[in-house]
Order: sequence, then structure tokens, then C-alpha cells
Amino acid sequence: MLDRKLSRRDFLKGVSGVVAGGMLAACAPPATPVSQKPAEAPAKSEAKLTPIKFWTFWGGFEEMHEDWKKTDAYAKFIDGNHLKLEITSDVSLESFLSNIAAGTPPDVGVIWIYLDLMAKGVLTPIDDLVAASSLKPEEFLEGNWKFCSYKGKQYGVPALEAFVRRGLNYNARMVEEAGLDPDNPPVTWDEALAWHKALTKFDSAGNLIQFGLDPYDAEGGVWSSDGFMIAESWGFDWFDENTGEFNIDNDKMAEGLETLAEFIRIIGPDNLDAVRAVAGQGTWGGAFNAEVQAMIIEGYWHPGETAHEKPEVSKVNRATWVPVPESRRGTKFQFAGGHMLLFFKDAEHPREAFPVAELVNTQEICDIIFQRNGWLPAWKPFLETVDPSIYPGLDFYFKSIKETNEWWHAEPCELSSDFRQTKFAEVREAIYRGEMTGKEGAKKLQQLFEEEYKAAGYKS
Amino acid sequence: MTVSVFRGFRTLSYRERRNLLLGVIFTSPWLIGFLLWTVYPLLAAIYYSLTRYDIMRPPIFIGLKNYKDLITSDETFRIVMHNTLYWVALSAPSGVISAFLMATLLNTRILGRSLFRAIFFFPAIVPVFVTAMVWRYLLNIQYGAINAVLQELGLSTIPFLSNPQLVKPTLLVINMWAQGNAMVIFLATLQDVPRSLYEAATVDGANAWHKFWHITIPMCSPVILFNLIMGFIGSFQYFTLPWLLTQGGPNRATEFYALYLYRNAFQWLRMGKAAALAWILFIITVVFTVILFRTSARFVYYASEEERG
Repeated sequence: MLDRKLSRRDFLKGVSGVVAGGMLAACAPPATPVSQKPAEAPAKSEAKLTPIKFWTFWGGFEEMHEDWKKTDAYAKFIDGNHLKLEITSDVSLESFLSNIAAGTPPDVGVIWIYLDLMAKGVLTPIDDLVAASSLKPEEFLEGNWKFCSYKGKQYGVPALEAFVRRGLNYNARMVEEAGLDPDNPPVTWDEALAWHKALTKFDSAGNLIQFGLDPYDAEGGVWSSDGFMIAESWGFDWFDENTGEFNIDNDKMAEGLETLAEFIRIIGPDNLDAVRAVAGQGTWGGAFNAEVQAMIIEGYWHPGETAHEKPEVSKVNRATWVPVPESRRGTKFQFAGGHMLLFFKDAEHPREAFPVAELVNTQEICDIIFQRNGWLPAWKPFLETVDPSIYPGLDFYFKSIKETNEWWHAEPCELSSDFRQTKFAEVREAIYRGEMTGKEGAKKLQQLFEEEYKAAGYKS
Repeated sequence: MTVSVFRGFRTLSYRERRNLLLGVIFTSPWLIGFLLWTVYPLLAAIYYSLTRYDIMRPPIFIGLKNYKDLITSDETFRIVMHNTLYWVALSAPSGVISAFLMATLLNTRILGRSLFRAIFFFPAIVPVFVTAMVWRYLLNIQYGAINAVLQELGLSTIPFLSNPQLVKPTLLVINMWAQGNAMVIFLATLQDVPRSLYEAATVDGANAWHKFWHITIPMCSPVILFNLIMGFIGSFQYFTLPWLLTQGGPNRATEFYALYLYRNAFQWLRMGKAAALAWILFIITVVFTVILFRTSARFVYYASEEERG
């Protein structure tokens, strides 16, 4: 053996082995110096922890997760349940749906098509898990909790961003400059229209400089799990869950569509589209933050988000009740809704993932979310600790819980929320562009929704 | 046919069989991909188009209802077809004309020709998302650079993207600007036109227009046809720019076929209807292409055929 000559091939083999070994050694983590105190062994071996896939359609949750990890609540969650949380945020609807179709959904997720998911049987009911958990239904705002059920079964837990969603926010500085009294905000739509006219300005060539209110911006324009503002303001139920009948083709709806169209006609539909395209930037409140729009119908998050995005605008932000028609003067309506955690039936560990709902409804985690995003949960023990004066305008939302005389929550209609939203946008545009009357619009929506409801197999 | 293929295989020599097998093995990555990602989805789409399928629940067979509803009672489908046919009829020819004229211009001996070629080709390498953002900020009625100039001059601004009557012509202009790829193909073709033809025409007393009309265009006509067909197919599938710029608006003026298909599939959870839409689009595109090919003999000049003839 010793006599054997070293061939060129052997030499190359040997050299490559040494080089490969060297490279591997270089890539390896540095060895713990002998003299150093041995690192503390992790409380639980990573291998024994159950991985929980948690997806959100919002972005930025991976970074927020790092802050969660520093809390006692998180340590308790990991140790007590032997779970390992794997968060993926900014998940698109297409991605969610593809994974559901492929049978590989996350264990727990937040995606805005809540009722679609409940109605289509892709979620696991959690009534027994809720009953056995530390979560108490009475500790949540009633509307938010109620929205998490469908046909008598509970599928979700309000979380991350919920609370109340109706308020007319206005820029007090712009209001004062227009000669209006910011201490006497509009109560009815007629008064709001008068403010809108006073706040809308054009240059000498007829180009729009600023405007009062786009009533369809943000929460004013949704027809989804966040409710439908026209129905709430004019006071009618647009869907009967017991009969599956729609009630859209009515005088109140027609009046609502006509009233709100007038706001857009004053701005000019072409101008509005342009403002949406740029000032809106795809995020709600863009035109308000740019001080191009003086009023906006938004949820409780608006004061906090504005404070983070545009502190100088936040200082002059105020909030009041969303207007009602003259016939309903004195009605102060509020809507509870928002987001929830859902547990996907075909996932690997949907039931094991339930403690995530407890984790995100703890004081520490709610506080991190509020500090970072200005978002509030529907969990009352945390709401009681929040200082409403922290963001100008936020106190209105807290007061509104006690002062409201008409609560609303999402209608449990299975019709695709994106379908509702798109068709509503199409019809209202046709109305404010003068191609249709409010009455015709109401009739059209009734017909479209009935046809789609039937075509989707919810009614024969 | 399968039998004859096998018979043919048996008649091959050992070496030929080996070569054939190796050929199949070497092309198998593509073949497998083609079968899995093209043929299977195409066939699956036929099945889904005959069902009511919302992605989350199992599909329910409903026969030709999706096709019938689309053709007979879907009002949006009619709007979408109108928008798409308008777009196809104008964007493909105008794109080809624009690319051909740019290429002709850049084929002349002008100062800084390479720089101009790079500038004209540039839109082809810029991501569509960036293109959309740039045009949005140029054309916006409120904040756009063009309208800002008009506003500074005390003139009325022009709602390029927010007026239903103006938005499609505006997209046509953007489309004509973004013809870098077609332009490069034309440029290569123009450089292949024999100089002797122009010289002979000059001797015969032809002016520049005569040369362009009687030599340049006929010699480039096969490539014009190619770019036209590619333009038509692309126009039928037009999606990214209108989605980013206008989201189908204003007032559904840019709600093109592909946008409607996407909405049906992923927003309204009507995957069955979306599959039917996809098949209708496929059939329309094939018919359109076949018609173009069949009629091409009337306006396309193939020099090689003349040589053979």
C-alpha cells in the first residue's frame, strides 16, 4: 500500500477532498470556545414544536412577529402549547385560493373574504375550542363576535384589527379656512353637501384644487364584511339571511345613490378618478393625508394611521358621526366589524393552531399592534387600557360605543364580497356620470345580486 | 396514425432508433413541461368550463350553461367584447405601423443613429409596472406633468386616463410607443432588403416614396404579417397595463377581455365561467389567426416563392 505510486487522479481526488472539507468547515457556525460558558439549552427542542402556518393578507407581520417574540405572552404561548409560529404576510387572494384548492391552506389565516370561506365549508368550526379556551365571548364587542359565526357555528375569533368602523373624519384647518365651524360638523347629508361645496375649489381654468368629501372613498364605498354604509345611513337591511331575499331595489337605496352621486358631480367624475389614481395610491385616506380631500368616512384606524403617515395632518384631524338623511336626523349609527382569525379544515394543524387566537388577544400583543399600526382589537380588556387622546379624532370612536343609538354589523350574505364591491362601483359610477338614475341603479343591483346568488348555487 | 408510427419505428435501423430515443430523452424536459403545464390545463379548462366551480367547493357539472349565459345574457361580456375588438382592431395595426416607421427612420443614415435605436428600444426592456407608473404620472389630470404644464399656462387640463372617451386612444398611444421588439425585427428585415433593388429603381427614375411603397413594404411584408399576428394575439390578451393604469375604468371603458376573465376567476370565484371565457378567447384568436394566414397571400410577398415559380 505504502509502495503504491500516487497517480495524478489520486492527487486530484485528495486535493479536491481537502478543498471541499475546508469549504464546509468555513461555512460551519463558529465553534463555542472551550473557555466560554456553554449556551443555555433551549426550553423546548425545535423538533418537538408543532409548526403552525399563519398567513395574513396584510404586509409587515414578519417584522411585527419579531416584537411579539420578546413578550412574556409569546413565551407562554410557545411553552404552553409546544408550537412554532411561522408567519407569512402579504399573501394575495390568488395565493390563498390556490392553496385552498390544492388542499394546502395555512393552519390559521386572515383573509378578508370571511363569509365566502365560512359558507363554502373550507373552515373548521371552533365552538368547542372557544368553550375550552381562556377567551370569553362577553369580553368582545358583540357585533365583532357575532360576525365570526355562520349558520349557528363559530368559525373565527376577532383579532388584530377589528373594533368600530364608522366616522366622518375632517381636516379642521381646511374647514376653518373655508369659513365653516369645525365645532359644528354636518349631521345630515344636506349639511355635508353644503360643507362639500364650500370646501371644493377650482382654479380659474376649471381645474380641481381641493374638494370636500368623496363619499365613496374608504369605508364609504365598501360593500363587504365591513358593511354597506348607504344601508346603515338610510336605515334598511339589504339582505334577509332567513329567506335569502335581497332588498336593494327600494326608495331608500335609490335616494342614497342619488344623494352621494351629487358629491361626485360637483367634483367632476373625471377629476375624482384622477385623484383616486394618484392621491389615493391604492391606500385609503391618501387624498385626505395629501390635504386634497377635507373629509373622509373611515374607521377608528384613521386617526392612528394618519398620525403615523402624516403627523401634521393628524394634528388637525377630528371625527364625528357619519351623516344620515334628514328623515333620520338624530340617528347616531355605528358599525362593529373587521377582521378575524380563521382555521382551515384541510390544513395540517388547524385545531392545534387555536392558541394563536388567544395569543393575539393578549394585552402585550394588542399593544404592539396598536403602537406599530394604530390598530385596535375587539377585545374589551385591551380597549379599556387605551388612551383615546393619543391620536386626534380617536376619542370619537371610543365615545361612539356608548353614545350610538343604532348598531350595525355585516349581513351574513354568502354572495362573493368582491362581486358586490365591483358591481356597486360600476353602478354608482354609471349614476354619477349621468347614465343611470338612482332608482335604475338600485334596480340593477337587485337584479345582478339575485342572478349571481342563484348562479353561485345558494338559491334554486 | 399511431399504428403507422409504430410500423415506421420498426423499419428504423438500430442507429436511427437510438438517435430517435436520444432525441426524445433530450427533449423530454420540454415535452413533460408542455404536457403538464400546457396540454393538461387546456384540457382541464374544457372540463371546468362545463361546471360551476368556485375553487373552494367541488365542481358541479352544468353542461354548456356558462357558454350560453356569456353569449346570451351577460351584459358585461358584451361590453368587454366591444372594448376588446376595438382594441384589437386599432392597437395591432397601429403598433405595427409605428414600429415599421420607427425602424425605417432608424435605418436611414442619421447622426446618433445608435443612440436613437437604443432610445426607441428602451420601452421594450422597461418592466410594464414601471411603464404604467411613468405614464400615470405623466398623464394624470390632477398631478401629471403634461397637465401641470397646461395648468401653468392657464389652460384646461385633459383627462387622458379618467375620461371614458379618451382613455382608449390614450392607451393606443402608449402601445405605439412601446413597440421596441417589433421595431428591432423590422430593422433587421430592412437591412436585408437587397440594395440592388433600390439602385435599379433609382435608374428607372423612382422617387423615395415609390421605392418605399414598391420595394420596402413588399420586401418586408412577411415580417409585417408576423408582427401583425403577434400584435393581434397580444391585443386579445391585453391585461397588465390597463390593470395597473385604470383597473378597467373609467366607467368600464378599459374593461378588456383578460381583465374580465381574471375578475371571474379570482375575484368573483367563478372559475367555471372563467374557463369558458378562456376557451372562447382561444377559439376567437385561432379563427382570427387562420383568417389572417388564409388572406395573407393577397398582401404578402414571398421572394423565395417567386424564385421557385
